[in-house]
Amino acid sequence: MSFAVTAGGHRVECAPSQTLLDACLRAGVWMPNSCNQGTCGTCKLQVLSGEVDHGASPRDTLTDDERATGLALACQARPLADTEVRGHGTAGRTTHRLRDLTTTVRAVEDIARDTRRVLLGLAEPLAFEPGQYVELSVPGSGARRQYSLANTADEDKVLELHVRRVPGGLATDCWLFGGLDVGDRVEATGPLGDFHLPPAEDDDGGPMVLIGGGTGLAPLVGIARTALARHPTREVRLYHGVRGAADLYDLDRFAELAAAHPGLTFVPVLSDEPDPAYRGGFPTDAFLEDVASGRGWSGWLCGPPAMVEAGVKAFKRRRMSPRHIHREKFTPADAS
Amino acid sequence: MTTTERPDLSWLDTVTMSELERDPYTTYERLRAEAPLAYVPVLGSYVASTTEVCREVATSPDFEAVITPAGGRTFGHPAIIGVNGDIHADLRSMVEPALQPAEVDRWIDDLVRPIARRYLEQFEDDGHAELVAQYCEPVSVRSLGDLLGLQDVGSDKLREWFAKLNRSFTNAAMDENGEFANPEGFAEGDAAKAEIRAIVDPLIDRWIVEPDDSAISHWLHDGMPPGQTRDREYIYPTIYVYLLGAMQEPGHGMASTLVGLFSRPEQLEEVVDDPALIPRAISEGLRWTSPIWSATARISTKPVTIAGVDLPAGTPVMLSYGSANHDTGQYEAPSTYDLHRPPLPHLAFGAGNHACAGIYFANHVMRIALEELFEAIPNLERDTREGVDFWGWGFRGPTSLHVTWEV
Ligand code: HEM
Ligand code: FES
Repeated sequence: MSFAVTAGGHRVECAPSQTLLDACLRAGVWMPNSCNQGTCGTCKLQVLSGEVDHGASPRDTLTDDERATGLALACQARPLADTEVRGHGTAGRTTHRLRDLTTTVRAVEDIARDTRRVLLGLAEPLAFEPGQYVELSVPGSGARRQYSLANTADEDKVLELHVRRVPGGLATDCWLFGGLDVGDRVEATGPLGDFHLPPAEDDDGGPMVLIGGGTGLAPLVGIARTALARHPTREVRLYHGVRGAADLYDLDRFAELAAAHPGLTFVPVLSDEPDPAYRGGFPTDAFLEDVASGRGWSGWLCGPPAMVEAGVKAFKRRRMSPRHIHREKFTPADAS
Repeated sequence: MTTTERPDLSWLDTVTMSELERDPYTTYERLRAEAPLAYVPVLGSYVASTTEVCREVATSPDFEAVITPAGGRTFGHPAIIGVNGDIHADLRSMVEPALQPAEVDRWIDDLVRPIARRYLEQFEDDGHAELVAQYCEPVSVRSLGDLLGLQDVGSDKLREWFAKLNRSFTNAAMDENGEFANPEGFAEGDAAKAEIRAIVDPLIDRWIVEPDDSAISHWLHDGMPPGQTRDREYIYPTIYVYLLGAMQEPGHGMASTLVGLFSRPEQLEEVVDDPALIPRAISEGLRWTSPIWSATARISTKPVTIAGVDLPAGTPVMLSYGSANHDTGQYEAPSTYDLHRPPLPHLAFGAGNHACAGIYFANHVMRIALEELFEAIPNLERDTREGVDFWGWGFRGPTSLHVTWEV
């Protein structure tokens, strides 16, 4: 059995156990979404008719008053009847279809302290926007974990994920850093999220600053390379914030990219273990030192919540337009 | 209710106009609690102060519009806010076409955004500004001025006019004989009107023979038989309504919203980060400090009983929407600005068939102005070395708002 969910003139089938967001994205109907954890509110929509079960929607994100006036979180709500909804401005346009993905581990590589690159081969190519993420099912647990793609859109057959070990972590210590081996099958769904560049035709080639904390670098790798492919000479400042030099990775890759793109500056910043070869402190402070005015820039932030908050403040302090500040809103499992 | 049960309202005898202008809330809070419909001697009028009584009077079939005495002295007859029946219907049909949502949507962005940008460019790199005089009021008057056809009248002149008309319109104090207590208070409004006539009369002369797309040109011609125009004496009172309230209030609304947001830094930050919240921030700003605080009135057309008070036919009642919007029966902690309070309807735009005709236009002017402000200066802070003073009983808003930011 399933219910009909109507959004922006599109009618999609939604199983009683399925969230409205999942049903729409699987049908290729766009709904704003970011965290898929019920915490960011991006997917809030108005239920016009029908009825939904709010599931695990937190009261912080969806208050009782909002529920009473018919608001719901698409990423948490499940239909109890045929339901019509109205989302924000962009809801209802077509988007990359959300799919279940069966993947095979192609490579597992230790790239830095407690950090791995995992390459997952896809049976069929995946259409996504660089910067989006996938959810992996942790075998045998029913748990799911979100990992950003470091790929560009044409790298659609092998997904590149950066994973940091969380001591005692269900997904990392026990699996991705435990028994995971080349050839293993990994169940995933994707693509998800709204952390990606505007469409090429709306991208004016303006300067960009990207700040990644730890493995929060992953989506920025896909975004920066895509941005430079569109406008090879644009100014791109990519900051990688980590604790110590042992946490840095892909330095050669960025050196090579910078050699091909004089507008690219890659800046590693060490917060805890000083090293004369690198800048010290926080990457958001390094940005404030380096850039006098952020007017006309776009800013991209992925990493621990405190870093992202500091980044938003730093960007606004340099008067970057808030419309052009982008942040990954899911909290990475390995954020610390 | 018999007279013996009436609360003792003798404390009202000592309330003065300047007290009300400085802080109407203390007096009206007591009125809401003790007598939601009360005769206030200094105003020489009954006053409705709660949500329920304001709404009841504004929408009752037993009341019709009347202009307050000081308002009538300032605007003359027939001002749209004080007339009824066919004349009111004609004046509404005259002003409404330009203010219809579908019509406003067609040009509002192209009208207001460049104006907002132009004023921002003058100070956005200074690192400090006084936003009431440098931004809120100029964007408000320029947007409406251009819509009306007053492109050649400078923004400072339009600001001067609304300020003078405001003080005249709200020169409401009455003496015990029912005469104006300060007749000399109308002089500056009279001077402003003389100047307005000197500037607008030649424009009207031209529009009569050369109609264009400006609102006042349409007021003259729309719905009239070919070759005829509305008489200018007939439309001037409504031009004054515009040159006061419609010019002034979007500026008040923006400035009050900003002061409210500055009182909740985390909410300001949310709104700056997500401009989709601006309309909600404005709606709460208008509830928190209603720009048209107490400027319009209704008059009973037959004997009625309101809030337990018997009123004979022909009794005027002033509508204190700014007080109604602080009604604790409706709003928790009403004197606190709170973006996240339940979005209940408020009375900042009035109610009934005389409710504001410019709601859609005004909301968009304020929205676009704040969007551009936060876009250009996302690191705006209130300059805490300067205080913020609110002024006004009839019309209310901050008199100045000093801000700073890092450049
Ligand atoms: C934030 C800005 C504004 C606020 C808060 C506001 C509020 C009000 C209020 C409270 C009234 C009296 C309603 C009543 O007596 O029940 C009113 C009347 C009116 N307003 Fe506004 N107003 C604003 C802006 C404007 C603008 C920009 C225009 C025109 C472009 C406009 C046009 C009118 C007209 C024509 C009336 C008289 C309606 C009638 O008596 O039939 N207003 N407004
Ligand atoms: S709350 Fe649903 S996507 Fe964040």
